[in-house]
Amino acid sequence: MRHSLFSLFGWCALTVLGFAQAPPPGATVNTSGTAGDYKSSTAEGGADRIFNVNSDSVDMENGTMQWKGTTMNLGNSRAVRARFERYLAAPTDSGDMKRYVAVLEQIQLLLSPQSINQDNYYRNQQEAFNLLFKAAEFDIDAGSSLTIASQVQKIWVMKREFNQIEITKNQLETLRKVQEGIVINRADNIEAANDSRSASATKAKPLGKSSSGTTELGYKVKDEARTQAEILAKNAEMTALGLKSKIEFQSQMVSFLMARRYRHSLITSSFYRVLFKGGSQNIVVGAKEVKEFFPISDFVPTLESFDMLSREAIKDTTKGMQTVDDLVKQGELYGAFERLQETFFLGEFEPIVMSYPQEKKREMLALWKDLRELQRLGDEHDLGSVEGYVNKVRGRARDFPGAPILSKVTNAINASNMSLLSAKSAALAGDNAKAEAALERAAKIWPQNPGVKDFATQVVSRQDTMAQMVPQFDRLFADAKWRDIYNNKVPFGLALAQDKERSAKLLKVIARIGELDFKIQKASVLFTENNPYLAWDIIVDAYKSESDDLVLAKTRADISSRVGVYSGLIDTAEKLEKDGAEAAALTAWLAAQDLNPPSTICGAAVKRLAKSVAESAVIRATGAVPAPPAAPAAGDDVPVPPKK
Amino acid sequence: MSKINPLFFALGIPVVVIVILVVLVAPRMSGGGKFADLTPLSVEKYRSDWSSLQGNLYRLDCQVEQQLAFVEGRGRVLAVKPIEKDPTRSTGRIPVFVPAGSADSFEVGQRFKCRLRVTRDLLVVEALERF
Repeated sequence: MRHSLFSLFGWCALTVLGFAQAPPPGATVNTSGTAGDYKSSTAEGGADRIFNVNSDSVDMENGTMQWKGTTMNLGNSRAVRARFERYLAAPTDSGDMKRYVAVLEQIQLLLSPQSINQDNYYRNQQEAFNLLFKAAEFDIDAGSSLTIASQVQKIWVMKREFNQIEITKNQLETLRKVQEGIVINRADNIEAANDSRSASATKAKPLGKSSSGTTELGYKVKDEARTQAEILAKNAEMTALGLKSKIEFQSQMVSFLMARRYRHSLITSSFYRVLFKGGSQNIVVGAKEVKEFFPISDFVPTLESFDMLSREAIKDTTKGMQTVDDLVKQGELYGAFERLQETFFLGEFEPIVMSYPQEKKREMLALWKDLRELQRLGDEHDLGSVEGYVNKVRGRARDFPGAPILSKVTNAINASNMSLLSAKSAALAGDNAKAEAALERAAKIWPQNPGVKDFATQVVSRQDTMAQMVPQFDRLFADAKWRDIYNNKVPFGLALAQDKERSAKLLKVIARIGELDFKIQKASVLFTENNPYLAWDIIVDAYKSESDDLVLAKTRADISSRVGVYSGLIDTAEKLEKDGAEAAALTAWLAAQDLNPPSTICGAAVKRLAKSVAESAVIRATGAVPAPPAAPAAGDDVPVPPKK
Repeated sequence: MSKINPLFFALGIPVVVIVILVVLVAPRMSGGGKFADLTPLSVEKYRSDWSSLQGNLYRLDCQVEQQLAFVEGRGRVLAVKPIEKDPTRSTGRIPVFVPAGSADSFEVGQRFKCRLRVTRDLLVVEALERF
């Protein structure tokens, strides 16, 4: 849920800030906050995880931050980010910060227990009240002091109302007592009259009323009861008014704390302590929140608990800003940026944060923008551009941990390329569903992978290619242009993948030329090892079936320069045999064999021709005379065979 | 009865033996012997232009190198190496055909004096003598 709301801090945010903020492996964390550890110990688990969406300390959905176990309202995520960016971009608040702080501290001093007593009780209140208006004159106060003043004024008005109600209540009480006397008097009179009538009843029964005055008594009793009710109503009104004032004041105090206006929370607390009686010092509003700061059972929150939290936050903020300054001096801008970030969200309205020099904030803003751009590239999976931006950020902040990011980017690029390779393999095998899935995976990991585009283009043009490649293959096959087919085996393979008949033909051609290339390779190796005659044998053998192959022809030409006599003898022998002069051909083969005794083709030819000569010797003696071979040029003697 | 001096026998018998040997060996050593009247076969000429030698008879001193083929009732084809007087002018092997009528046996390394006839392109052995 948080992920969806804070989409900007997606994949890259995890890598950039998540990695960046995690302590390095093996590093020790100095929880006491001594030298070497610039993390705020109190804010740990709080503001330092502000951009880590997995952190429990920040709830971006509700825009809150956990600090010391309690929740602070930051506003929604977009607003939080915008507020920090605005803080970095905005000019530093004008005004004398020291004077402002001094005014606030003076207010607290006037209301503090060591200053206030019976004699100056009202005077100090008034002076502190007046100083609130002075504090409100500073821009950075943002009118918060006026809010306190208004609250105090309301309490004073309420107190006057209290006095008025008290007077009224006293008057009513007096009235009630008079009414009570009248009732008693009337009752006594009625009783006396009744007694006198009872005494004279035995003498004669009078005619007329037996008693009088009871009606008036009834009205008087009613009057007294009404007055009693009015007194009770006034009492209730006073109680409600007091409770309302107390709740309102405490609410304001908690609001200031939660809004991280700690100094105003302290002042509100001081006023409350002075304005309300001892019986009203218990905490009604925010008790639950304050309890969360102190994980102690049966903990009773007091005003002092609020004060302690505010002072703690002020101290952490001050320490955080000192750390920022120190890191900037050491050139560790990224670390400084992180600390400023967390300090800002902890003590955004603290004078020390608000008065941070503008030129330094501008430097942080530039880094912030680069980081945002890096995050954007990560979100868009623009892996090709990430490295450049990482280097840019490194140039600005030498302590920026770019290696893990680059490592992840490299892994992602490799994964995308592997998927692409898988897609190509599947396409070649004709498995379109698998190819599509692999291509989708490759594009999801790295949408701008140039290979994806190329492959997509290949797939789109595949039908066109097939339409062109099939007739081309048929023509080359018909013309026995094996080498041309072999040289284009990949395009032909792609185009003919679905055509089983042509694919089989293609495989045969590939095997044929593969075998020929093996022979050529073997001949070349023998030739380079100074075995030209054996190399020639291989070439001669291959040439019988692949006389049109250009590669073979070239190799043949290269080797022939070293085997002129040998090749001449073989040529002569073949020609003589063709002409029917088998004995002469046998002579030539024997001469060739003398030059190259291990030659298998010479051995085979000699064996074959000798048998043929033996079988046909008698017939040949009576046959026609074949044309003899042309006489060789002068000096072209048959070489002397090697001695056995 | 007059007695012949034993010294005469002692010297005469070896002289007679030597004379007989000289008479027998000298013609062989001088290239003579059987088929001495025939022209030696020029192997180079045969190789380069065998057609011009057709029908001719030649003498060939050679050594058997290998029997290339044997066909019952027809004969055999031998690869022989001509024996040159000048060993530096050694030529390669050539095939000769020995018809089936020959009663000789042929082993590798045996030497023969042959009378050859060039029949078309084939060297046919008409007669031979081992030496």
